Amino acid sequence: MIPDIRFDEEWVGKFLESLHHPQDWGNWQQFKMALAAGKSRLVESFYGLEAPKHLPSLEVFPHQFETAQTVIEKMNGKAILADEVGLGKTIEAGLILKEYMIRGLVKKVLIMVPASLVTQWCRELNEKFYIPAIEQRKKPAWEQIDVAVTSIDTAKREPHAAVIQSIDYDFIIVDEAHKLKNKKTKNYQFVKSLKKKFCLLLTATPVQNRLSEVFHLISLLKPGHLGDESSFEQKYKQEDAQHELNQLIQKVMVRNRRSDSGMNWPKRKVETVPIFFTEDEKALYAAVSSLKTKWRGIAEGLAFTTLTLQREACSSKEAVYMTLKNLIEQYEYHTGIRDDLAEIMALINNVNINSKAEQVLSLIQGSDDKMIIFTEYRATQLFLQWFLGQHGIKAVPFRGGFKRSKKDWMKQLFKDHAQVLIATEAGGEGINLQFCHKMINYDLPWNPMRIEQRIGRIHRLGQTEDVEIYNFAVQGTVEEHILGLLYKKIGLFEDVIGKLDDILEQLPGDQVEEHVANILLHSDSEGEIRVKLDNLSAVIAE
Amino acid sequence: MNRTEIHRYLKQFFLENDSPILEESDSHLHIQLSVAMDKALMNRPFYWHYIEKIGGQPAPYQLTLITDAEKADESIKGEKIHFGSPRLHQIFQTATQLGRYALLYEAVSPAGNSLPLKPWLVLNGNISYCCDHKKDRFFSIGLSLITGEMINDAAEQLKNKQFQVQIPDYCFTISPVIMPEAGLERIRKYFIQQLEQEAHIWAEEAVERWKADEELLEAFYDGEDEKPDSYYQEKEALRAQYEPKIDIDIINGGLFYCHRHPLDA
Repeated sequence: MIPDIRFDEEWVGKFLESLHHPQDWGNWQQFKMALAAGKSRLVESFYGLEAPKHLPSLEVFPHQFETAQTVIEKMNGKAILADEVGLGKTIEAGLILKEYMIRGLVKKVLIMVPASLVTQWCRELNEKFYIPAIEQRKKPAWEQIDVAVTSIDTAKREPHAAVIQSIDYDFIIVDEAHKLKNKKTKNYQFVKSLKKKFCLLLTATPVQNRLSEVFHLISLLKPGHLGDESSFEQKYKQEDAQHELNQLIQKVMVRNRRSDSGMNWPKRKVETVPIFFTEDEKALYAAVSSLKTKWRGIAEGLAFTTLTLQREACSSKEAVYMTLKNLIEQYEYHTGIRDDLAEIMALINNVNINSKAEQVLSLIQGSDDKMIIFTEYRATQLFLQWFLGQHGIKAVPFRGGFKRSKKDWMKQLFKDHAQVLIATEAGGEGINLQFCHKMINYDLPWNPMRIEQRIGRIHRLGQTEDVEIYNFAVQGTVEEHILGLLYKKIGLFEDVIGKLDDILEQLPGDQVEEHVANILLHSDSEGEIRVKLDNLSAVIAE
Repeated sequence: MNRTEIHRYLKQFFLENDSPILEESDSHLHIQLSVAMDKALMNRPFYWHYIEKIGGQPAPYQLTLITDAEKADESIKGEKIHFGSPRLHQIFQTATQLGRYALLYEAVSPAGNSLPLKPWLVLNGNISYCCDHKKDRFFSIGLSLITGEMINDAAEQLKNKQFQVQIPDYCFTISPVIMPEAGLERIRKYFIQQLEQEAHIWAEEAVERWKADEELLEAFYDGEDEKPDSYYQEKEALRAQYEPKIDIDIINGGLFYCHRHPLDA
């Protein structure tokens, strides 16, 4: 066959024109220099990667290089990148995009990422890849901007959606693509409506959890790759078709794991730090716990809140106080409950020592190393900052809700001026702190994925030291259950890297959280909790 | 281009464009930009607009480029330049624009009798084979506008000769027998003939990939009487992704009046 051939008529036209109206003629030296410049951008092979030659200061790890090459040469530029946290999916995406741009196959690019990561993506593309990516927020100029970075929420709204849909994008990237698993959502429909010549979907969550989710994600990228919906479900419900399905998935998905990235990863040293409550703290915890069954049948909501209160009591009295205050307002007209709550309030006032905070202090004072403390509660965060300040230790707060500029500022403060960074849960995503190698899980989330994300902040490419993780667990409380009966049993903290992946493929993190809450809520004795958690860990670790 | 080549290229580029090198080492260049180069490279249209409006004294920037960051003295502050850096890209772009078209005469100095100069049409460029992958092939074609003879590697043959923008003393040009427009047409036909004889396995393979994906797409929407927009959208996307085509792009070219045949040393 002979493909269509296009000759450079534009050059010809201008050349002939200038023969009649002499202008813009270059001299001999200029002519030779133009030729050298023009020649330098030619790529003489279909295969291999040019991009690294253009990016001498970028450290590209072997698995990233291979991923980029596989996506371009074997997957034809349409793929799901599903590396574990910390392996550099952004670098892989940047390499692929750069390669296509160098080769002139891609010009118009749309990158959709969570709103909190827009600035960071832009900066990485500009600084690391010299790709002139521009943030599109309030007054976007979709037509004029070649490489636009935005959030799906902005893009899917009118008037933007219609403009975006009318543009012929050459390349589309969606970060955190696991949020696109439900085909009924507006986000899904929007991404589906775009013309996808080359396309990358990035996700850190393994996608094999639910069959229908796998189906929808892949159908977004490459409709028909897994057949149509009804035949897909029939076929792959059977166990023996699993292998075939996995092979199909691997044709469009790259998933690198730390364990097989072929690198010498720093070790994870995990230490459980048992915390022993003071008598006052014990009294508070016991009082809170008694609420769980006492008002059964009368105030059902209270039982569930008890779980929260118990976890807060393990964190700080400040955290308990906030929830308790709200409860007192809520049960203002129920004398019995109100009195119980008032009693707990009195117990709060008795607590003068926070055993966990004391433990933090002794860990920090022992060395000059930087330390990240993760807590689930803002009240605890504030308390800890104050508490450490009292002892002459500088700490900076970090929250997901901070604006990007504030996040950067806090990160810089931490790097240059403070020994401690105290982060709440939502602060985890999208910040890299590999200059620090010690971390305290001051209280533990019940979703194992979130723990992995926490650890991923420091245990990532660029970390040169072994990573030390301290898990705090107050003895005789829910924390001991979670840590001792669940996380340890399933081997969450063992140095077997990639282990969490296997776990989450069995059971997604949010489901674990749900199961745990149910067990704690509906068990009447320690023994019952123990047995049920044992069962759960057996199921997961299977 | 390696570091040394880039260094040499930059130095030549600025000297060529009236921008003297104020200071230099093997690993850096400190340049006083000319007004034209400041306008081309420094991206400050408002400044130039303002200066020209008030008739002020222009103060073009100086620029320091570090071509070898490892060797350069640490006290030197400047932009690090390497292959792929945006500044180099910009300079290449500028260079490409400045030398895109040429009308040049071989610099000969006749001793006595006047000499004839014969016109050659020279085109440098690349043939790009595009599908979801792409590869470029460089060409440099010279066509005698007197005899119709065509030579390959014209740039290579000419590169050590000297050319100038004005016709040298005691020389005269011979008018083309083949007009430039017809010459361009000959070269175009030559390329097409040549390409028609090539085996385009790459294109056949691309079409196979295209058809395979299209079959999946058809199956996905099979049974739907009225296909949704997304079907047509996806179909179009597959075409854009895989459809093989060949682009012949010209980097630069022009008319060269040569005394000797380019293949004669």
